Amino acid sequence: MKLSYSWIQEYADFKVSATQLSDDLVRLGHEVESVELPREAVKGVRVGQILSMIPHPNADKLKLLSIDINEAEPLAIVCGANNMGEGDKIPVATVGTLLPNGLKIKKGKIRGEVSFGMCCSEEELGLAEKALGLLILPTDAPVGAEVGEYLQLEEAVFDISITPNRGDCMSARGLARDLAADAGLSWLEPELKSLDEDACMAVSLIACEAEDDCPLYMVRRIEGLEVDEAPFWMKQRLLAAGQRSVNGVVDVLNYIMLDMGQPMHAFDADTLKGDVCVRGAKEGEDFAALDGRVLKLHAGDLVIADAEKVAALAGIMGSEATGVSEKTTNILLESAYFRPASISTTRRQYAMVSEASMRFERGVDPAMVAVAMQRASALLLTCFGGTASAVKVLGDVDAWLKPRKFTCDIAHLESRLGVAIPASLDDVLRRMGFDLERNEGQLHVSVPTHRPDVSIAEDMSEEYARVIGFDAIPAELPELPTIQPMKKDTSVQDAVRQGFVQIINYAFISRQEQRLFSNQDQQDIVLENPISDAMCVMRHSLFPGLLNTAKYNLNRQQAGVSLVEHGRIYSKCEGRYHEDNILAWLMTGELLTPHWYAASRDADFYDMKGTVETWLSARGLTARFITDDEVLGLQAGQTAKILVGKTVLGHVGKVDGDLAASFDLDKAVFVASLNLDLLPKAKSAKFVALAEFPAVERDLVFLFDQKIHADDVLQAVRKPAGSLLMGVYVFDRYDGQGVPEDQVSLGLRMRLQHPKRTLTQEDSDQVMQAVIETMQTRFGAVLRG
Amino acid sequence: MGELGALKAELHTLQEKALAEFTKAENLNALQALRVSYLGKKGALTDVLKGVGKLPAAERPVIGKEVNAVKTALAEGLSACEGSLAVLEKQRRIQSERLDVSLSGRQSACGSLHPVQQGLDEITAIFSQMGFEIAQGPEVEDEFHNFDALNIPPEHPARAMHDTFFVKDTDDAAMLLRTHTSPVQIRTMKRLLEEEHALPLAVVAPGRVYRCDYDVTHSPMFHQVEVFKVGEDISLAHLKGVLQHFLSTYFEKDVSLRLRPHYFPFTEPSAEVDVGCVFCAGKGCRICKGSGWLEVLGSGMVHPNVLKSVGIDSTVYSGFAFGLGVERLVMLKHSIPDLRLFFENDVRFLRRMGA
Repeated sequence: MKLSYSWIQEYADFKVSATQLSDDLVRLGHEVESVELPREAVKGVRVGQILSMIPHPNADKLKLLSIDINEAEPLAIVCGANNMGEGDKIPVATVGTLLPNGLKIKKGKIRGEVSFGMCCSEEELGLAEKALGLLILPTDAPVGAEVGEYLQLEEAVFDISITPNRGDCMSARGLARDLAADAGLSWLEPELKSLDEDACMAVSLIACEAEDDCPLYMVRRIEGLEVDEAPFWMKQRLLAAGQRSVNGVVDVLNYIMLDMGQPMHAFDADTLKGDVCVRGAKEGEDFAALDGRVLKLHAGDLVIADAEKVAALAGIMGSEATGVSEKTTNILLESAYFRPASISTTRRQYAMVSEASMRFERGVDPAMVAVAMQRASALLLTCFGGTASAVKVLGDVDAWLKPRKFTCDIAHLESRLGVAIPASLDDVLRRMGFDLERNEGQLHVSVPTHRPDVSIAEDMSEEYARVIGFDAIPAELPELPTIQPMKKDTSVQDAVRQGFVQIINYAFISRQEQRLFSNQDQQDIVLENPISDAMCVMRHSLFPGLLNTAKYNLNRQQAGVSLVEHGRIYSKCEGRYHEDNILAWLMTGELLTPHWYAASRDADFYDMKGTVETWLSARGLTARFITDDEVLGLQAGQTAKILVGKTVLGHVGKVDGDLAASFDLDKAVFVASLNLDLLPKAKSAKFVALAEFPAVERDLVFLFDQKIHADDVLQAVRKPAGSLLMGVYVFDRYDGQGVPEDQVSLGLRMRLQHPKRTLTQEDSDQVMQAVIETMQTRFGAVLRG
Repeated sequence: MGELGALKAELHTLQEKALAEFTKAENLNALQALRVSYLGKKGALTDVLKGVGKLPAAERPVIGKEVNAVKTALAEGLSACEGSLAVLEKQRRIQSERLDVSLSGRQSACGSLHPVQQGLDEITAIFSQMGFEIAQGPEVEDEFHNFDALNIPPEHPARAMHDTFFVKDTDDAAMLLRTHTSPVQIRTMKRLLEEEHALPLAVVAPGRVYRCDYDVTHSPMFHQVEVFKVGEDISLAHLKGVLQHFLSTYFEKDVSLRLRPHYFPFTEPSAEVDVGCVFCAGKGCRICKGSGWLEVLGSGMVHPNVLKSVGIDSTVYSGFAFGLGVERLVMLKHSIPDLRLFFENDVRFLRRMGA
């Protein structure tokens, strides 16, 4: 909300600077987004009168002006505009002026002619978004005067963000009340003029059928208006407040709203047919709103309607057909209190926001309904003539003017703030409208009608905190328990230590991406109002995000990436929502750029698998990897499920080539994913005595069938090798020259050790013999050389 | 000159020749060969000794002495030459092993932790060390925990300000993506009370949150850390104390703090918290838009309705709560100019920022 300082000053004699007032507003809880200084911004721009105008000798489109600014000598100025003539009065930015657009005026030479300033348009003065030529000032403008003063530009305009609980501060009067109470200034309430009412004037029967949603409704008829423009000063204030001038009547009502916080509405009385009624809308009823939209209303929406049509969505927007125009002569003027929740629900349903609805849904001051009616009427009659009927009032006004009362414990308030609340502060709150009485440690509060947000002790603690000032409250550390700090989750750190770059992607992806790795569409959690189709469903897999990131980076000259992401996946199953913590990796392209010591190498399946193995081993876990040809999106034969015990923790594999290509990834892409929620709890390591006797390493090389699984071979070694076997692994694999087709040579390295003595040649020979026999019988393997 | 004289002369010549040859040996191998050729079983000295047999017995000891003297002289000569040759050889080896140390080393690939992750970890650790327990909650939340229980009834204007993502096709209760980490307050308090955890309780809840707002300064997904403490006589002063400690620790300097009254439905009183601009030390700069202050988080005293919703008696207990935006704090700490950098995941940026 924008509001000028001069407007706030109508209610109290504020003398502090705009900067100080801005600080005061902030301290009281009214955030100041910015302070504009329109007059200061055009300081140095003066009213000038064109004495003569001749063409520039060296430029067709420029003119040489001689301009009187009431100094000893006229100014010579080169100007490119063409909407002015000799004798015209125009704004002249003199040398040294800094214009709002950042242009600093200097003495200069333009195509050989000296220029001592610049003639300005409205755009250059910051008064309009766009201007076609110079601003031509009225003939009575005093030559030499500061243009800012002459145009009565505001000294200061505050852009304030009012919190939703403080509807009472959405007006000059409301803000001034808070500020004046805080500063201890006396309150200047403008005198409320009485009106000559025409008691005989008939107001078409108004009835209210929705008292819950519309507890107070006041209306009056004004006849014989001659609608003209609103007064200059009023338009200036509205302009500064960011309100476009519409017509005299609308401008006056907007002025009243910004001044007092009470939104009002005027219907062109001649467009209303028959009796007017405040009621709930009928289901499907049409409403052609002022903003051009045609709505199908829902039952229960509060409307103002005549015998034929809906004239307004109450408190939100009037209809196109019943609005006031320059041609209007008779109006029906409305001032009301609508139930905030009703306005909020309705306006949200239609995604409508208006200055009026913002105030009604925060709760207007019921005490102002009648006052605003009176003041608006007086202003309208003064500006545009006409006569007013008596005010017709629907609702129990007195009931709404009763203050809310409650009692709270002062010690309780103090314990919540951590500071004493001296009685001297009560006066500040009294000036804000509270009626307070202290009695034996109790505070009896009577809340003014403009503060619907205050109803419990805690609300009062905030009021006191505001006037004490949050700065005055000391900073103290509470007693905090000594707890066992939770074990740090090092999932990502471990992956990072292995050389992976952690990324964080949005948790929502497109439906197409979702289907790449999951066909469980019935488990999709779809967003009702996504940012776009690309971000509409909660992911079942981290792979789409990883692929997108790989694509993004390979498009930016990366020869390869190793990425890791830690995040949740989301699914819905039989009405229940699940979230799982996943750690997922992606590798593609060059693992290392070529160096003097090594050639570059592209990532392959075993790099990815090894990453997972290393990561698991840091947790004391060993997994089994079992071929899984049925994983959507991953290539059969290069994909394995990862098992620890009997639990499938996830998969590792090569992304289907066509799928990878659809992400512009040409090289093989490998991914892996682990469900961290399924991970067995890491056991703390147990000490095992170190072997005392030396170990022996023995190698055996066999020819196996090409389709052999190394894991099967290694498993098969264990039994014949017996308890002496400490470990076995494949140290060599070869299927090149010298190895028959359909066969592969695997070299097994076994480590043997006896716990109680040094192994003899005989011991290890026996083991080797047993292994050889098993390999021959189980796999038909042939021992090599 | 008799036999003896001739032998003596021969020994003398041999010694001279040997010592001269020793000093000329180019390396230890050559020296070893010389040792063998003079002192070995079939060496020159042995040859000379063969002549001893022809001498009369009385002269033999004389020549024996001579021979021993020559042996000793040769051994000494050898050892001296060996010493200097060893030094020389070492020098030569060192010379031959010189490397271009300016060539890059064999590096293992270095990963990087996402800056938001670093921020989350740092922030959580500070509170964890202060005695706050870590808690988590679901990101797909129901309206009750995200709004109602936090004193934001359906028609509340604040509800509209949350730019909520709603879930399609929900069965009964409306589901949404949580707009803040505050629902973890409700879930944690309920859980702890059910587990008969005694008050006071102090909890820190880091996590992802969502708002349907997407532009230069807004990301539809971002991270928050919710911190709250409930107990007897918890006051606004305690809130200030904890904030002061946290912000000074996080920014690694004594920051000044400013609390501005604000409005949040779930706290009363509520305050926006600013820190003195960490870039210009409060003098006013581009980052703080000249104000000298940077808004960092929202805070307040837990609203009695919130305590009521989990069954805590607000006449006995009170609490403070605040929620901070992780991306915002990380941007301030590391002078990162644009929020969007976090989710573009450009590895050049991530590696540079990565710890």
